[in-house]
Amino acid sequence: MATHDRKLAAHLARRAGFGATPDELDYYESMAYEDLVDHFLDRESIDHVTDDMIYRRHPNIHAQLTHNPMHWAYRMLTTNSPLEEKISLFWHGIFATAEPKINNFGAINNQITMFRDKGLEKFDDILIELSKDPAMIVWLDNQTNHKNEINENYGREILELFSMGVGNYTEQDIKECARAFTGWTIKNSEYMALMGNKDSIWPYGRIFWHFEYDETDHDGGEKTFLGETGNFNGDDIIRIICKQEATAQFVSRHIYNYFVADEVPVPQWGHVPPKDPDAINKLSQAYRESDYSIREMLRFLFNSDFFKQSRFTRIKSPAEFIVNTLRYTNEFNVIDGADSTVYQVMEESGFMGQKLTNPPSVEGWHTGEEWITSGSLVDRVNFASKYITDLANPGVEKMVARVGESINAETSPTELVDKCIAILGELEVSPDTYDSLMTIAEHAHSVDGNFTSKPEPIITKAFQIISSSKEFQLC
Amino acid sequence: MQYVKSIGLNSNQQIGRGFNHPYDIAFSENNRIYVLNRMYPQSTDGIRVQICDFDDEWYGEFGHGPGDTNDKFLVPVCIDFNDEEKLYVTDESHHQIKIFDKDGSFLEAWGRNTSKITSLEAPSGICFDSDGNALVVQQFKGTVLRISNDGNILQTFGEPGSEPGELNLPWGICTDTEDNIYVADWRNDRIQKFDSDGKFIQNFGEPGSGEGQLSRPSSVAVADDGRVIVADWGNERVQIFDKNGSFQTILQGEATLSKWASEWLDVNQDELNARHTADLAIKTLPSHLNTPYHKASQTEHIFWGPVSVKIDKTQLLYVTEHSRHRIQIFDLK
Repeated sequence: MATHDRKLAAHLARRAGFGATPDELDYYESMAYEDLVDHFLDRESIDHVTDDMIYRRHPNIHAQLTHNPMHWAYRMLTTNSPLEEKISLFWHGIFATAEPKINNFGAINNQITMFRDKGLEKFDDILIELSKDPAMIVWLDNQTNHKNEINENYGREILELFSMGVGNYTEQDIKECARAFTGWTIKNSEYMALMGNKDSIWPYGRIFWHFEYDETDHDGGEKTFLGETGNFNGDDIIRIICKQEATAQFVSRHIYNYFVADEVPVPQWGHVPPKDPDAINKLSQAYRESDYSIREMLRFLFNSDFFKQSRFTRIKSPAEFIVNTLRYTNEFNVIDGADSTVYQVMEESGFMGQKLTNPPSVEGWHTGEEWITSGSLVDRVNFASKYITDLANPGVEKMVARVGESINAETSPTELVDKCIAILGELEVSPDTYDSLMTIAEHAHSVDGNFTSKPEPIITKAFQIISSSKEFQLC
Repeated sequence: MQYVKSIGLNSNQQIGRGFNHPYDIAFSENNRIYVLNRMYPQSTDGIRVQICDFDDEWYGEFGHGPGDTNDKFLVPVCIDFNDEEKLYVTDESHHQIKIFDKDGSFLEAWGRNTSKITSLEAPSGICFDSDGNALVVQQFKGTVLRISNDGNILQTFGEPGSEPGELNLPWGICTDTEDNIYVADWRNDRIQKFDSDGKFIQNFGEPGSGEGQLSRPSSVAVADDGRVIVADWGNERVQIFDKNGSFQTILQGEATLSKWASEWLDVNQDELNARHTADLAIKTLPSHLNTPYHKASQTEHIFWGPVSVKIDKTQLLYVTEHSRHRIQIFDLK
């Protein structure tokens, strides 16, 4: 594939991250595409607004007392390693854990941190970390899964929703799986679960949770699971799960849905074939050949033709939409203790249909066209229009200046429109949107004869139209 | 160093007894403790100063935020009494110092949108020299202002940077019995000592988590015998240095139930009973949680967010924790 392809780099940045600012695209464009893929996947130097600054200005984030993923939001908005956050969002959508049941934001924040740290590693390692994750344990009640009285909840969901999908195991496999995960609990489970159930912050604030293996409550007896027999513990079960072809296909289809093109919701996967079966098979092969490495599956995917040809075939989730928009505004690197914008925009994501850390069920969110309703579309348009046209935001000011500096007395309306479209992430707009942009550009041009006397109003107006377009909803 | 007791209880209410992110305290002449309750931007109505005492009596509150009038708080940071029993509160977002009498009546404000010290920017720590002048840290400018009690700047010292005498996002400040000035040089991970004229004397501490090393110190206090107490905020602990800046010991915190906490549990027997079955003294954590922050977040009795250290006239040390919403008290004698 040709190197130095700005549009392809922008495509990768939208999928492996949250889009790219013009300055970022300048840098990405300077790299060969394969190197750019590696750049996203193999970051060594990660920079973002630091925790000490966040905590100094917002002690409520330090204590995680507010039911809102502000800490995660600061990372998504300021990191130079966006794939870490994108993969966290990916796993959060699959291993969907809702904080309102557990009422311990520290636990859910630690789960997100685990996704960030482990999310590109081997799938079996990820499942082991997930099975030890305190938020997941309490979310699916595994602290009540006892040696002499099993609770099948986690045993069922790890098979149905987290690894294989329905139809690939039996009810007996679920029971045996649950038996293997007995004793996988959290420290002080009774008191911690009670505080969570009561949303208690007393006497001295939240106490975060950590995993504890209770050997005395583990069923060490013989189990038969997916045709294998032994005195399996939870990690044995995960080893068996990960070598199943159903697991390879399941993980591959999720990755395709998130990084390539929208699929039908997961409950339909049993009877609706994949959009691109060949791509799923190739991803499954990468899964096996890399010993279940998510990073290597993505390296294969990002370099594949089916990925490169998939521009603007996904609808941005609300969180992707918000983070993508706000990374253009670049207003969150300096933190003001009085500023609650990050809190508000995360609430706004909820109004648009995706309240992070509060998925609608253990199934997570349904994606694709289901993100768009008449109400959510109005919210999206208003949101993007508000932030992307505000010259007080340093990122917007910089983009407007960059377009302004690139025009002269000879610049035509067509050239101005093209520059505005390009600076907002090399977007591709429909003829209707293009006509709307041309109408306002030609009008402005007809008034002054050129754009050089006062370019800011026409540029911000163009930004408003572009960010309000249906194409801006796509990535 | 003997632990004495804890004061406080978490509260999510915007009025009444109980703390929500306490940030600093000050002592009045009649031994009352004024607690700056920071709250957060989503619940700004609860920003206030509460008054209690060592014996857990609660006397009331004043100064509710938010608001842009000078008597309201937005992001209050530090608090101290001068020798006339006037209570000074810095507000880093209003860029002001707000002054109240000990009964909570607003007297005046200095800084932005006032008639005095209009150049004041993002004040944080505040204390007073023996002449009654305020010493105020400007965190972004990396300077300390000496301000007369009628609101005139007498002196500015320090400058931004990392060299000796330079400051990077400084936070707390205090003086010793000889009027030397100590500044918690937050982003340089050290304490800087200046003489009474503001001339640099020495610094101590370096980045790290070992003995004598500091991570983002937020507050400093000096005992009558010269020992320097540092809120080693980023390491979730308090460190004590001798008067020459040599490391002496670490306090990790050993909170017990306060009177208010006990009273709350007495009427919530289900939690009290579950609590009795729990082992809250965490001894080991999974390796990925082996950081000061995670240890503190998982272990109720140790410091979590030890943001302020203050010493009363009987040489009791008060450590205010913004994330455990309490004050742990130690006897320095």
